[in-house]
Amino acid sequence: MFPANIEHYSRPATIDEALATSARFEDGEAMFIAGGQSLMQAMKSRMTRPRCLIDLQAIAELRGICPDANALSIGAMTRYATIAADERLTGYFAALRDAASHVGDRQVRNRGTIGGSCCWNYVASCMPAVVLALGAEMQLRAVGGASRSVAAEDFLIAPLETARAEHEILLGLRFQAPAGRGGSAYQKWGLVKDALPVVGVCVAVTLDAAGRCASARVGLAGLSAGAHRATAAEQALLGSTGDAAAIAKAFDAAATAADVQGDKWADMAYRQNLIRTLGQAVATSAFARAAGSKE
Amino acid sequence: MQTVTIKVNGETFTESVPPRLLLVDFLRERLALTGTHVGCTHEGVCGACTVHLDGDAVKSCLMLAVQADGHDITTVEGLAKGEELSALQRAFREEHGLQCGFCTPGILMNMTDFLKHNPNPTDDEIRQGLIGNLCRCTGYVNIIRAVQQASQVMQGEAP
Ligand SMILES: Cc1cc2nc3c(=O)[nH]c(=O)nc-3n(C[C@H](O)[C@@H](O)[C@@H](O)COP(=O)(O)OP(=O)(O)OC[C@H]3O[C@@H](n4cnc5c(N)ncnc54)[C@H](O)[C@@H]3O)c2cc1C
Ligand code: FES
Ligand code: FES
Repeated sequence: MFPANIEHYSRPATIDEALATSARFEDGEAMFIAGGQSLMQAMKSRMTRPRCLIDLQAIAELRGICPDANALSIGAMTRYATIAADERLTGYFAALRDAASHVGDRQVRNRGTIGGSCCWNYVASCMPAVVLALGAEMQLRAVGGASRSVAAEDFLIAPLETARAEHEILLGLRFQAPAGRGGSAYQKWGLVKDALPVVGVCVAVTLDAAGRCASARVGLAGLSAGAHRATAAEQALLGSTGDAAAIAKAFDAAATAADVQGDKWADMAYRQNLIRTLGQAVATSAFARAAGSKE
Repeated sequence: MQTVTIKVNGETFTESVPPRLLLVDFLRERLALTGTHVGCTHEGVCGACTVHLDGDAVKSCLMLAVQADGHDITTVEGLAKGEELSALQRAFREEHGLQCGFCTPGILMNMTDFLKHNPNPTDDEIRQGLIGNLCRCTGYVNIIRAVQQASQVMQGEAP
C-alpha cells in the first residue's frame, strides 16, 4: 500500500521556513513529518491524506539532548535511539531511557522521535506516559514566531488529540530537574516483546532529606483513555519510604481507580493485575534510583 | 514530480519521482534492486524492507523516496564486495540461517548495523535486536547461530 497523492513535499532547513510553508495551506492540508513511524502507517492506510508534507529532518536545532543544573531539554526531533544511548539520563530522568530503549524495534528507534510520539499521542504508547510522569513542558512555536509552553497534561488531551494548534511546531520538551534526590522508571507489558503497551507504568519520585517521598507522579499507558496520571497511586506514595507495603497499597489503589476496559487479548482483571505488578516493579526501581542506585 | 539524487550502494541515481512513492518501491521498481522485500501492507512490522539510511537500519516501507534525496542508501545488494560475500552473509549460508529466504535481506541489513554497534553480542542481545524482523520459517535458532558465527569471524578479522 502507498499514500494518496501528495502534491507538495519539502524539507526546510529552518523552523521559520517550515512554519511559513505550513501556513500557505488550508487547515488540515499540510502535515509535518518527523520519523514517519506513525504517520507513514496512517498515510499508507489512507487514514490521513495530506496534500503537503513538510519534513522536519533537516532542522538541526530541533535535535539534541541538553541537561543542565536546572533542567533537561530534549529537541522534538531527537530519535529514540539517541535517547536510549544517552548515559547522562540517570536518576530522575532514567525512565526516558527505559522507554526509548524498548519502543518497537531497532529500525523504529532509528527513525522515531520523542516529539512525533507526543504529537501523535497514540492510545497505546510509551513516551506520553513518561513525559506526564516527569512533568514535561512542551514548547511550541506558531507562524510569526509566537512561542508557548504547555504542561504535558494539558498537551496530551486524548488519544490522537493534543493541544498543538494547526500549523504549530513542537520544538522540544523541557523537564525541570528535581530539587533533591529523584528517580524514575518505566516498564510495559505488550502482546509480544517490546510491542505497544497493553499496560505501561511510569513512576517518578523525589525524596526529602529523611528519605521520604516528597513528590510522586505516576503515568499510565495503554488504557482506553490514553496516557493519564494515576493520582490515587501518587497520593498513596507521598510520605512513604518506598517500602514494599506502601508501594503495594499505592498500586492496588491505582488498579481500583483506573477506568480499565478489557478486550479479547487482555481482560479487565488481567489489565488491573498488570497495573499492580508493573507498578510495584517500577516504583521499587524509581525509589532505588532516587536513593542513588545506578541500575 | 520531484527530482531526487540518491546514492544507492555507492552509485548515484537521479530520478524524477512522485512524492508519494515509497523508498522501497523506488528501489525495487525504479532501480530493479529487488533484494529489498515487502512483507506487510501498511503497518511496517515485518522488517523485510530494511535498508541502511546513512548507515542506520531503517524500514524502507515507512519512508518516501523524496525523503532519501541527498542521502546514502545501502541495500542487501550492496553487502558483498563483488563476488565476495560479507562475513554475515557467509555465516547465514554456513549455519543455515535461512529457508525460503524472504526475510533474509532485511535480517542481513538489520544485523549488519547491529554488529557494528555490538560486535560481541550475547544470544539474548541478538534476539532483542531481531524484534523488528519476522521470519516464518526458521524459528530464528539458526539465524542467531549465524550472527554469532559472523561476530566471531569479524572479531578475528579486525586488526
Ligand atoms: C513496528 C512499530 C512498532 C512500534 N512500537 C511502539 C512501542 O512499542 N511504543 C510506542 O510508544 N510506540 C511504538 N510505535 C509508534 C512510534 O513510537 C511512533 O508513534 C513514533 O515514532 C512517532 O514519532 P515519529 O517521529 O515517527 O513521528 P511521525 O510519524 O513522523 O509523526 C507523528 C505525528 O506527529 C506530528 N509531528 C511529528 N513531529 C512534530 C513536531 N515536531 N511538531 C509538530 N507536529 C509533529 C506529525 O505531523 C504526525 O501527525 C511503533 C511503530 C512501529 C512502526
Ligand atoms: S514491508 Fe514490512 S516492515 Fe516494511
Ligand atoms: S526464511 Fe522464510 S521467512 Fe525467514
